[in-house]
Amino acid sequence: MPAVQETIDQVRGIDIDQYKYGFETIIEVDKAPKGLSEDIIRFISAKKQEPDWMLEWRLDAYKRWLTMEEPTWARVDYPKIDFNDVYYYAAPKNVTGPTSLDEVDPELLRTYEKLGIPLREQEILAGVERPRVAVDAVFDSVSVVTTFKDELKKAGVIFMSISEAIREYPELIKQYLGTVVPTTDNYYATLNAAVFTDGSFVYVPKGVRCPMELSTYFRINEKNTGQFERTLIIAEEGAYVSYLEGCTAPQRDENQLHAAVVELVALDDAEIKYSTVQNWFPGDKDGKGGIYNFVTKRGDCRGHRSKISWTQVETGSAITWKYPSCILRGDDSRGEFYSIAVSNGHQQIDSGTKMIHLGKNTSSRIISKGISAGVSQNTYRGQVSIHRRAENARNFTNCDSLLIGDKCGAHTVPYIDVKNSSGQIEHEATTSKISDDQKFYAMQRGIPEEEAIALIVNGFVKDVIQQLPMEFAVEAQKLIGISLEGSVG
Amino acid sequence: MNMQTTTRLTTAEAALVEAFGAQVGDLPGNGAVIGTRDRLLDDLKKSGLPTRRIESWHYTDLKNLFREVPEANGSAGVSAVAPLIAGSSVLTVLQGEADAKVHAEGFSVSAYKDALSDGSAVKGLTALDKDDAIGRINGSFVRDGFSLSVPAGADLADPIEIQALHAGGQIHTRFPAVFGAGAKATIIERHRAETDAAALVSSISDIALEDGAEVTWILLQQQGAADTHLGQIRVSLGKDAKLRLYVINAGGKLVRQELRIEVEGEGADLTLRGVNLLGGDTHTDVTLVLGHNVPHTTSTETIRNVLFDRASGVFQGMIKVAPDAQKTDAKMACNTLLMSDDADFSVKPELEIFADDVICGHGATVSDIDRNHLFYLMARGVPENKARAMLVNAFVAEIAEELEDEKLVAPLEELISDWLDKHA
Repeated sequence: MPAVQETIDQVRGIDIDQYKYGFETIIEVDKAPKGLSEDIIRFISAKKQEPDWMLEWRLDAYKRWLTMEEPTWARVDYPKIDFNDVYYYAAPKNVTGPTSLDEVDPELLRTYEKLGIPLREQEILAGVERPRVAVDAVFDSVSVVTTFKDELKKAGVIFMSISEAIREYPELIKQYLGTVVPTTDNYYATLNAAVFTDGSFVYVPKGVRCPMELSTYFRINEKNTGQFERTLIIAEEGAYVSYLEGCTAPQRDENQLHAAVVELVALDDAEIKYSTVQNWFPGDKDGKGGIYNFVTKRGDCRGHRSKISWTQVETGSAITWKYPSCILRGDDSRGEFYSIAVSNGHQQIDSGTKMIHLGKNTSSRIISKGISAGVSQNTYRGQVSIHRRAENARNFTNCDSLLIGDKCGAHTVPYIDVKNSSGQIEHEATTSKISDDQKFYAMQRGIPEEEAIALIVNGFVKDVIQQLPMEFAVEAQKLIGISLEGSVG
Repeated sequence: MNMQTTTRLTTAEAALVEAFGAQVGDLPGNGAVIGTRDRLLDDLKKSGLPTRRIESWHYTDLKNLFREVPEANGSAGVSAVAPLIAGSSVLTVLQGEADAKVHAEGFSVSAYKDALSDGSAVKGLTALDKDDAIGRINGSFVRDGFSLSVPAGADLADPIEIQALHAGGQIHTRFPAVFGAGAKATIIERHRAETDAAALVSSISDIALEDGAEVTWILLQQQGAADTHLGQIRVSLGKDAKLRLYVINAGGKLVRQELRIEVEGEGADLTLRGVNLLGGDTHTDVTLVLGHNVPHTTSTETIRNVLFDRASGVFQGMIKVAPDAQKTDAKMACNTLLMSDDADFSVKPELEIFADDVICGHGATVSDIDRNHLFYLMARGVPENKARAMLVNAFVAEIAEELEDEKLVAPLEELISDWLDKHA
């Protein structure tokens, strides 16, 4: 089947050593001493000029973390992480927080240019045709710049680094931080609560449709540093926001740690669309180096008729442990999860989603496409849970996997728990190359085989790619370097 | 015996240990068998009954659910019942003891007790892995059962029916069955409570199909409303062997049916069909681990569940495709009808695939009866409750019909209808 062959060739073509973003920026940095202790947490908190309650919050989390054990249930295998061999804080010198572009170290700007991230507003404005995107750039432990802040402010949208928000909008932070992912949630989320250094904060007020795409670009640059970012997005009644995060890291021999927490809150009639293009350094072809990516992402559809949609394109990281989830609390709320996970070389991915149906008439949709090549392991792990009082819940889940080569593995571990009889839950998963049924359907209507395959494949790719904002869809496709042909199931 | 007191045992765990102490003196077995029993019980004591923290027991927290070990009841009077299909060769196990008066034609059979006594059973008395609580319990306590052997090339016209009947107490049985190359046979394994008295039943069937054997194995579990049934079926399929395995659960309070199937020969095929009729307060868990270990093997699995009252059901189905097991074709479906808001069902269909040229898929649905179907019937004058009953019946009876042989289909359909009449 040509479509399949093409996909296979394309995936083989992505030589793992061709990681484009593996360069290192030589820049002066401020670092906290290596290791983790209460003092380090005090140091981070002081650096961020945080109020006392925030420090307390962090210390509480730290104490809790000390009593917790690293989870081992995921299908990933890695040597034990020495959490004391990591720098928890590294910031480019001369950056005390996001400031105007003129004050930013030119070396940093060049870095973002190399990464293709537009930080200069005027440049973006020059290209009239291009949709505008506001960017928050996080470099190691600090946010270096946030663009279009003023224009967003006019619309009432707050978009800034979370450190800034803690200082400027403490009430909002107090009200929402940790309400979706509590500090006690899991090992990595608790660690994050103790040591998070930066991240983005978005607040969209009642009835406002955010006038542009928001984006955060994370970059780990320093050696031996961990990145612990925390993102909080709040969409008030009837608000809408679309947000994208991207990430890269230099090529290094040792493994680096990334443990992020993302919390989304959607109130009545609000909608949040969260897209991720994850391209951390995956390690070299022998499996040396790469990012350990342990991420907790969760959205809370707190209001009626609210909607949260996760779209992820996962191509990087040596280890991915990530389950963007939706809590469908409000009646008629909706959760979506669209995922493409490509693993190559020695990568290990254990990713999926949780859809927790609590409210009435809630619906969720899960589309997951996994492609594994090389000697990688790619696991979909998901849960759909319909609680006793969640009447008329609806779920559709589809997980397809494609294996390329006989040294890799593709696994599916879905958990479906139904406690209400009025629900309708459908789950399907396949591992194959292309479905004969679909091909037959098209062909018996007079469409030649080649075209039939193209037709099916096009429709198939749309499922996930279409969910990405236009700009990023192109980027994502380039990034993967493949179309999703052949994983049609 | 090495008594360990470090782990705190639950009441039920302690009762198991105590029961073993009381029974070990008269459990059949030579030195090797007794040694194995001791070891299995010791392992059980050390690890305790599995909890939900153990992935394969995630939905059935045996430590928590299994509370009491009923008193052993050796003398209860139960007697053989008429076979499901007239003309079957009937092998009876009453209160856990094989009835030696067996009339076998075309196959050989002996009491499993004999294999324990002469030690030949020791090989099979193992736990499959560290979480195999059923293997440990059964291995420690098993008292009797039947060893079956159908010679190569035999084609048995009539089914063999194994009847395991009890009137409460502790029943631990085992049924090793070997089907020689090219043998054809139908086996019906019935587990049935004859009284309401509570029972703890553990039973393992070791089914080996040699090259080209074709077997239909039907397991009917009809335990009482207070009974715990811990069942395990271990299967190995040789080259071109074909097994149709039907597992029907229609009773019991706490039921775990483990199906551990290894497809070892090229061209082998497994057809697994499951029907779970769950009512009352039952917790019924069917757990399948299916290994496609060689190239060119096929399997289909269909599980249909209907739940009434406060029933709680589980299906875990894992399909593993080994590296190099190319051209595997495995399809699994699990469909559930929840007929009550107090019932719940959990399903975990897993795929673990290490070969690239395979077709594997699973589907799972959970819902109430389709309103359109209901409307269709009601528009034709069928009252709602009757329409519902018809649809539920059709939903599960479909599985029985797949057996095609009317001789087998009819009694199964009747069993399903009877159960639904009582519960719906």
